[in-house]
Amino acid sequence: MGMVTKRKKMHYGDTHLQRRWRVRNRRRDLDQIDDDLRTKSGELINQNVDLDKPGFAQFYCVHCAKYFIDDTAMQAHFRTKVHKRRLKALEVEPYSIEEAERAAGRGSFVKPKKRAMETQPSKEDVVAGKRIRVEEVPEGTDAAESPSTSKTKRKKAEKMET
Amino acid sequence: MRIETCYFCSSKIYPGHGVNFVRNDCKIFKFCRGKCHKAFKRKKNPRKVGWTKAHRKAAGKELAIDPSFEFEKRRNVPIKYSRETWQKALEAIKRVTEIKEKRTSHFVMERLRKGRQIEIQMDVKDVQRNMSLIRSPAAGLKERRAKEAAEEAALMEEDLPEEKITYVDARELEKRLEEGMGIEDLEMLEA
Repeated sequence: MGMVTKRKKMHYGDTHLQRRWRVRNRRRDLDQIDDDLRTKSGELINQNVDLDKPGFAQFYCVHCAKYFIDDTAMQAHFRTKVHKRRLKALEVEPYSIEEAERAAGRGSFVKPKKRAMETQPSKEDVVAGKRIRVEEVPEGTDAAESPSTSKTKRKKAEKMET
Repeated sequence: MRIETCYFCSSKIYPGHGVNFVRNDCKIFKFCRGKCHKAFKRKKNPRKVGWTKAHRKAAGKELAIDPSFEFEKRRNVPIKYSRETWQKALEAIKRVTEIKEKRTSHFVMERLRKGRQIEIQMDVKDVQRNMSLIRSPAAGLKERRAKEAAEEAALMEEDLPEEKITYVDARELEKRLEEGMGIEDLEMLEA
């Protein structure tokens, strides 16, 4: 008909997303982070000096698998929504290949466990021997009893007192 | 040959289909199609994506906990071929799938039946709450008012012989009050 058919641009302007999803830019998955938390949180928080890493690998957030340039940057990060969202995501046991198989009919469904998540201890505490502990929250306890919310409650109470 | 399961949607992957992704910790993630692979790359959580098996089972849409699921297993031990075991296994597989299908369909039907009941309850509630939309509260208001008026009029006619009113002389009353009688006593006197 002499009409010019225009190509439909379905993915116009998502270059930044495509770049993020490239394999070379892959960040650690939740199940890997979960593994880190349970097995080697101490080494990750208290790493050796590595000149190639940001902040010489001295400021690492285990939950978000992220290096920071200094302590203030890291403390600021702990107060961000990104970090809190990550803590929330890690509260539930991460999805695994086994769960996929179970869902496919190889074995019965197992409800993912709930855990208590708290921001990592400071480096001094880790040197003193403190580690991140991933403890299961028993069934039936409300989210109100989880440490993060209780902390906010405590803060609120302090404010009320003052 | 082995029929694999998709990491994301838990569907079957036949040989020659799908994509494998080997993470740098040697874990192998298998995907049935581009849709699942893409979702994985975007770090979607299969538990929160409605069309995956993981979601459907977690949300109670399908039969999730049953002993019939315990037969099928990934066995990495080679077994020497023997005709008898082969035949027995085939028969057993048939029987197990039959039972499994029966149970899953029964589960789904039960779930739907329950949903239907809830629907009916909700409908009844809806009608009760919004009765005014079906029949206006003002319907027949004029007639009702006319009727009430007529009834009142009829009552008035019946009540016509009213109580007798007694008149008392004002001066007499004053005198009596001065004498020190209370109002109650007065009323008593009149009675």
